[in-house]
Amino acid sequence: MAIPVIKSYEFDWKLVAAAMLLSLFGLLLIFSAQYYSDDPGARDFYIKQMIWLVIALIAFAIVVNLPQRFYDFGAYIFYAVIVLLLITVLLVGAKTGVSRWFSIGPINFQPSEFAKVAVLLALARYFAYSKLPPESVKRLFFSFIIVAVPVALILKQPDLGTSLVFFVLLFSLWFFSGLSPLYLFLVISPLISLVAAFHWIAWVIYLTILLIILIFGRPGLLFSVLMTIINLAFGVMTPLVWNKLAEYQKMRILIFLDPGRDPHRAGYQIIQSIISIGSGGILGKGYLDGSQTRLEYLPVRHTDFVFSVLGEELGFVGGLVMLILFGFILIRGMRIAIKCRSMFMGMVSWGAVTIIFFQMLVNLGMTLGLMPVTGLPLPFVSYGGTSLVFFWVIIGLLVLADRRWQDY
Amino acid sequence: MTPGRTSKQQRFIIGVIVISLLLSLLAARMFYLQTFRHNELYTQSENNRIRIQSVVPKRGVVMDRERRVIIDNRASYTLELVPSEINNTQTANLIADVLEISEGELNRRIRKNITGRFQPALVKRDLAFEKVAILEEQNEIFPGAVYRKDQARKYTTDLGSECFTGYVGEISSEEIERLDRSIYRAGTVIGKAGIEKYYDRELRGIEGTEYLEIAASGQILGVLESQSGVPEEPGSDLILTIDIDIQKVAVESFGEFCCGAAVVIDPRNGEVLAMVSKPSNDANIFSSVIPSDVWNSIVSDSNNPLLNRPLAGLYPPGSIYKLVIAGAGLELGLIDKISVFPSSCNGWYQFGIRPFGCWNKSGHAKTNIVQAIEQSCDVYFYQLGYQLGLEEYFRFSQACGFGKKTGIDLPIEAAGNTPNKEWYDNRIGKDQWTLAVLLNLAIGQGEILATPLQLAQFYCGIANNGRVYKPHMLKSEIGPDGRETSRGGEFSFYLPFSQNTLDILNEAIVGVVHGEKGTARGSKIKGTTMAGKTGTAQNPHGENHSWFVGFAPADNPAIVACVIIENAGHGSDHAAPAVKKIIQTYLEKHNLLTDDYKLTKAN
Repeated sequence: MAIPVIKSYEFDWKLVAAAMLLSLFGLLLIFSAQYYSDDPGARDFYIKQMIWLVIALIAFAIVVNLPQRFYDFGAYIFYAVIVLLLITVLLVGAKTGVSRWFSIGPINFQPSEFAKVAVLLALARYFAYSKLPPESVKRLFFSFIIVAVPVALILKQPDLGTSLVFFVLLFSLWFFSGLSPLYLFLVISPLISLVAAFHWIAWVIYLTILLIILIFGRPGLLFSVLMTIINLAFGVMTPLVWNKLAEYQKMRILIFLDPGRDPHRAGYQIIQSIISIGSGGILGKGYLDGSQTRLEYLPVRHTDFVFSVLGEELGFVGGLVMLILFGFILIRGMRIAIKCRSMFMGMVSWGAVTIIFFQMLVNLGMTLGLMPVTGLPLPFVSYGGTSLVFFWVIIGLLVLADRRWQDY
Repeated sequence: MTPGRTSKQQRFIIGVIVISLLLSLLAARMFYLQTFRHNELYTQSENNRIRIQSVVPKRGVVMDRERRVIIDNRASYTLELVPSEINNTQTANLIADVLEISEGELNRRIRKNITGRFQPALVKRDLAFEKVAILEEQNEIFPGAVYRKDQARKYTTDLGSECFTGYVGEISSEEIERLDRSIYRAGTVIGKAGIEKYYDRELRGIEGTEYLEIAASGQILGVLESQSGVPEEPGSDLILTIDIDIQKVAVESFGEFCCGAAVVIDPRNGEVLAMVSKPSNDANIFSSVIPSDVWNSIVSDSNNPLLNRPLAGLYPPGSIYKLVIAGAGLELGLIDKISVFPSSCNGWYQFGIRPFGCWNKSGHAKTNIVQAIEQSCDVYFYQLGYQLGLEEYFRFSQACGFGKKTGIDLPIEAAGNTPNKEWYDNRIGKDQWTLAVLLNLAIGQGEILATPLQLAQFYCGIANNGRVYKPHMLKSEIGPDGRETSRGGEFSFYLPFSQNTLDILNEAIVGVVHGEKGTARGSKIKGTTMAGKTGTAQNPHGENHSWFVGFAPADNPAIVACVIIENAGHGSDHAAPAVKKIIQTYLEKHNLLTDDYKLTKAN
């Protein structure tokens, strides 16, 4: 039997090269981040990351060489397996106190990372084969359930940052599967109302915009009235829900929105991150010469705040190169998504791009002080084995979709 | 294509626009930080450090029901060390000398509270003023040492109130793991017992923050203007149900006896008016680091001052438990008000080959239930208990609130022990025990164990027509905005007794105090009718424990007091006079005594 191999002529080398450059960037930054560390174990993080990169590339090769129908037919099975794993990790975690990882020897395996792939495949399959129109409530509801089950389990870990990825993925695939921007807006409008109602002026402005959209969008009188009522109900609920929350629950939400309230962790990290990036200037202080990094002012600099190391040592130029690499991967990924004849692989590609984009956006937004601290790693760059393997699997799916774009 | 839907190409274009816009936003933010704010941030990174100063809010004051202070705050000093600044200096060594501890101990304290190399780690709370003076005078030789004004708790010392106030202490690593990390962090002071622990969230308020700019030399340059701090929010003040006047009398009522407990409750709403655990510790000593000799004397004290007796002291209830058995017998129709048992009391009761003695060796002859309670006849209850059977005994005990926690708003409450068949099977072995256990259980001896709080709760039910309120300590909470929120009495359960049964029981326990042969006839209060029950619990380790639970006025009870005095002999000898003193003080204070008493007092 012939062993399937990757043939260079049908292989998107540019996409892989961009991902590889980001991974190498990551290795250099992890090395720099821990170069002056007092802890010899921490100084070896880059070696561990290199080993993980090799594993990630093997995973990538496997993903690319498996037939497309393997993902198509297996989508729901992967989903069921990952849900079971998420339940198991919670049960095991209840005994050990850590409920995010399975520890197999020296390796920590985080099932929530692979839940992203499983949910992506399950959603892609559902949208690709559903005969219901994109606006169908049934279709929206079932796809929501596909996401809600693993999200509930991940929230229980608890990992708010990762669970947000799933909702953004769902939202993005609703858009890609044909839901018109009007409906897309209306579906999430109750949530906007819930947030806007924290201030009555914001809420009044928002409701005015909603009414204008409903009048000009003409989704039907009954539907419009229903949407208005739901939006009003969510808005009215905001102070009630807020007052019902215990003081510590309110604090958690406030810290999520304003990390400055948690000065010993999130607030401190953001301030130091901004100082690191800003002090780098246009060209940076030079590789291995970041004083913030060297003096260990910057906590978790090799994982969530790796971009701050880059900002300090390689400056605006280094940061821009990284943004261009990400931009290149994203736009190329979107091209693949619209090129695919198979609806399933198109969905998978669009979803893959969404995940990369959202995690990149949140991580960079966080390090630049634009977003709350959520603990989402920077794709390909941050230290962390499961995350690296996951993103190379995602690249594998994109390359596969590109190779087989004509398959139907 | 359906109107409103987008084509694949349109989706691609929208996608590219969204991604480009957001990437541009990130690039713009990067550009802004790295060009416009570069000089400022570069200077900060090179020369300055940021120190996050927690602004600990005022912890709430705790008062009694008449707003007299029980727990207050006092000013103190706290010493912190910045790890990065003491690493390469002799500071650690010098500080250890000043604090009179070893360098290893100092390093252990730093490790325990460290949050970052550049953040001060708490080393010593409640630093003596002389030590502060040394640090202040020679501050140049202590780089990295930061001391700040703080506050410590001040407990009123003459109330014997540690059993409900509890105390505060520094958070342990286990507590950090267990509690909400957005509120609690290393070095935080938290409630460790009592009200301080149960209402810690209310008392502590919300910590504030100040960002200070620190020069490389360690000098504080001032508040960092680009980062606004968070103002602190003081904790709530708590108004307890405790009445200091009653509390003081309850403490004094023990006289020279070393050990015991008292619980005083308003049966109409479950408000705890007084709670005493003897011997008690001064809560103030726990608020700071306890000297080892003081700690050793506490743990080696055979009187066990660390035991919270009203809540966790497990005692055989003795005869005061007979009301549960009597109530069960009346409810099940095994007895009525006038019925008598075939065997009269001649000082003992023969069960099989074993004689079971009555406390009164000369015997009570034939008694009905009212007389049996009044005179506390053991022989009557041996027979009633046997007829009742273990299952019903267990069912009624549970329904009367025994064998489970009352749910009072204090931590570390014990559930007690109400044995049943399974319990004996497990403890002694299947078929290894006889029904003789029932005879002991019926007089509140044997394996039944209850807390003084459970007994007080049960008698609150008897006093309040069967309706039992959950005992509670908090009357109201005054928030930082000055708004007062009342925490009213919460209904807990009904005693499993009909009105007829309650009337008979009430008649009997009035007889205990006012009857000719009542066991507590020496503890009458002029100007009111008091009901109560004496108990003398056998103690294998020494003299019997003296119990009494009483309430008054008997026709409209406003106060229930339960006292146990360890090793004090008969209930009538010491516990009943103690309860009398407590109840009399309360009734006098609230003008609930008749003119009869006032005339006597005036004369």
